[in-house]
Amino acid sequence: MSEFDAIVVGAGPAGASAAIRLASSKKNVLLVEKSDPPGSKNVSGGVLWGNGLSAIIPDWEKSAPVERFVDTKSVAFLTQDSKIGIDFSSKKLEQKKTGYTVLRARLDQWLARKAKEAGAMVINGVTVEKLHVEDGRVTGIEQDGDVITSDAVILCEGANPRVAINSGLRKPLSDHDVAIGVKEVIKLPENTINERFHLKSGAGFACEYVLGYLKGGLEAGGFLYTNKDSISVGIVVSMSHLRKNNATYSYNMIEEFTAHPYIAPLLQGGEMQEYSAHLVQEGGLRSIPKLFGNGYMIAGDSAGFSFSNGLVLQGMNYAIDSGIAAADTFAAAYDRKNYTENSFKSYQDRLEASYVMRDMRTFKGIGDVTWSPFVHKKVPAMLETLMMGLFMEEGRPKKHMTRMLLDALSQNDMLRVSSLMDTYRMMRRM
Amino acid sequence: MTLEIIVMVKQVPDKQEVVIDPVTMNLNRSLTRNVTNSADENALEAALRIKDKTGANVTVISMGPPQAETTMIECLARGADRAILASDRFFGGADTYPTGLTIAATISKTGKFDIIFAGEESSDSSTGHVGPGVAEFLDIDQITYASSVEYEDGHVIAERELEGGTEVVKVPLPVLVTVLLNSNTPRMQTLRRKIDATRKGIEMWDHDRIGLQPEWVGVRGSPTIVRKMNPIRERERAAKKIEVSSIGDLVDELYEKKILKLEDE
Amino acid sequence: MKIEDRLSLLNYKTDKSYAHITIKPDICETCPDHFCTFACPAKCYTLIDGRLNFKYEDCVECGTCVVACAHDSVTWTNTKGAHGIKYKFG
Repeated sequence: MSEFDAIVVGAGPAGASAAIRLASSKKNVLLVEKSDPPGSKNVSGGVLWGNGLSAIIPDWEKSAPVERFVDTKSVAFLTQDSKIGIDFSSKKLEQKKTGYTVLRARLDQWLARKAKEAGAMVINGVTVEKLHVEDGRVTGIEQDGDVITSDAVILCEGANPRVAINSGLRKPLSDHDVAIGVKEVIKLPENTINERFHLKSGAGFACEYVLGYLKGGLEAGGFLYTNKDSISVGIVVSMSHLRKNNATYSYNMIEEFTAHPYIAPLLQGGEMQEYSAHLVQEGGLRSIPKLFGNGYMIAGDSAGFSFSNGLVLQGMNYAIDSGIAAADTFAAAYDRKNYTENSFKSYQDRLEASYVMRDMRTFKGIGDVTWSPFVHKKVPAMLETLMMGLFMEEGRPKKHMTRMLLDALSQNDMLRVSSLMDTYRMMRRM
Repeated sequence: MTLEIIVMVKQVPDKQEVVIDPVTMNLNRSLTRNVTNSADENALEAALRIKDKTGANVTVISMGPPQAETTMIECLARGADRAILASDRFFGGADTYPTGLTIAATISKTGKFDIIFAGEESSDSSTGHVGPGVAEFLDIDQITYASSVEYEDGHVIAERELEGGTEVVKVPLPVLVTVLLNSNTPRMQTLRRKIDATRKGIEMWDHDRIGLQPEWVGVRGSPTIVRKMNPIRERERAAKKIEVSSIGDLVDELYEKKILKLEDE
Repeated sequence: MKIEDRLSLLNYKTDKSYAHITIKPDICETCPDHFCTFACPAKCYTLIDGRLNFKYEDCVECGTCVVACAHDSVTWTNTKGAHGIKYKFG
């Protein structure tokens, strides 16, 4: 007889969602989190996309500590001197409230409280050391020599899943699995943010940037999100690119971004409140480990469910949905009283049927494109040339638009077969 | 007979997160989270070390709002046997006098006590009053600012930090000991203990349970009146580079700037 | 803002009795790239007179270094007892 029906390791969006779902169906669940309070070791860029939480907490956005709903979503290329971007502001984004900016130390603490309210036992401030395995089946967790038993363990450890790695359930992370995210939270008065970004009260701005001008030719992505009275700003650089470069300090890159002539004014007068860094799961489909086995399932970032296609960075939504899928799989196994690998097969099926795995498959290999010199060098330079051509009055008759585009392409060495192939690949993978 | 040890603990705002609002000049606690007062963790560890050797019973006692439960559970998860939180709206707004009274009364209600441990002071108010106050209310001996504590044969032997030296004292039971911050390394909570403590819960005692009249405690029982709080203003620093070629020049320069003074001035 | 100043904004509950990351100095001594010094976002890895110096106290527990080190010098474990970094915003 196990002490708990299920033990969930890690109280981020994946783990808390799993625990809430399990507790709501009257399962005896233990949620263990190493930080105190929950959330105080967690970092994310800061937009929670989608409405996944509504499946476990109806009207969640009314009580959750969200910062602003995203009503302007932008994407921009930055060169040394220019910004070329697309802004999408829409009443529809407001009506549907498709995304919210969040700060994880607050959101995750709230989620853990919701898990407790739902009936889960939430223990934080204690670190799970390893899984307890009997006869090839995970039957609990170990800490300080004690074994806490359960019928199954759901691992939701985040982007650096030590228990899963140490237990051999997933391979150690390698360069192609991860990027490094570095972030700053800059305090600014709520009104200043509203005025600076042309936002109504409660509305937010979220933008991802392709940074094509960093020293040493480093390819990185930037992001800037508005919170209630602060701005989250940061960069993401892939491990393999930083390694190839081997001359740039990860902690200095963010300053190159925030000093850009079209970023600095947005942050002007702000006071830095926090600096943070975190691994970002970036490998997509090829980084996803075996998701379940005898007595265990893996969800959220631990399972590699996170992706970026240059237009949007997502992870928390996959975490929530995979956490719920794991909980539902457990509930079905509970009815059969069978916690073997075979019994958990439907976890994979649930994920395949949901957008989690469908997105992973749709965007497989996207990393090759988003982290290519094509996107980071040639596209921004070409766009800059094109825009200058379009908008500069030189006292000469203007060229036809098509001619201008061809000129811009050729000046930036993009009329080659290889570049056309890159364009094709990019379109296909996006 | 089993040794009965009491540990007084307090939940305080995380001192690394306390900020003074530059506009209102008040403590801005909206961003601060609560933690167990660090010196109290050292006090608990001193108690648990005696428990390890003697099999003593360790009871933690605190006065505070219901959310202080997390601190009490933490103490149980580290190894305490029982946790009592004196919690009552009448206790609110207490200065150190009724706080000491409330805790002393709570301790008396538990029955027998041999050693009472407390942290040297709390990080939020830093008075160091409550431990000694409790000893006075209970009319027992006290050892303050102890850096190490041993139990031997009906006595507590403690080393005290003094200016310019240390003192070793041996005091018969019952005795109250206040323990220096960082005088030991507190043991960690274990998952097993924390699960058990969470299931069992803690005891919440109100003024009635402790046997205190409402007018003796909380803000009504407090003789202290806070008239004003002044934040420490950061001093203007007139940073200036002084060009000097020798130490002698530097001394002259500092003397002229009235930073250095001659002894007979 | 210098990285040291940025780190000084952070709240740590430092575990003085346990280093959650350890390195093998003999491996680092002969390391050809010292990529850790570039990768670690908290500047825990620095070269002093050509020798690698590591301090775990400033670690923000991102896990970068254990991936960055291609020479198996870094052993990474979770912090214990809620020690380590304590973000307010995250």
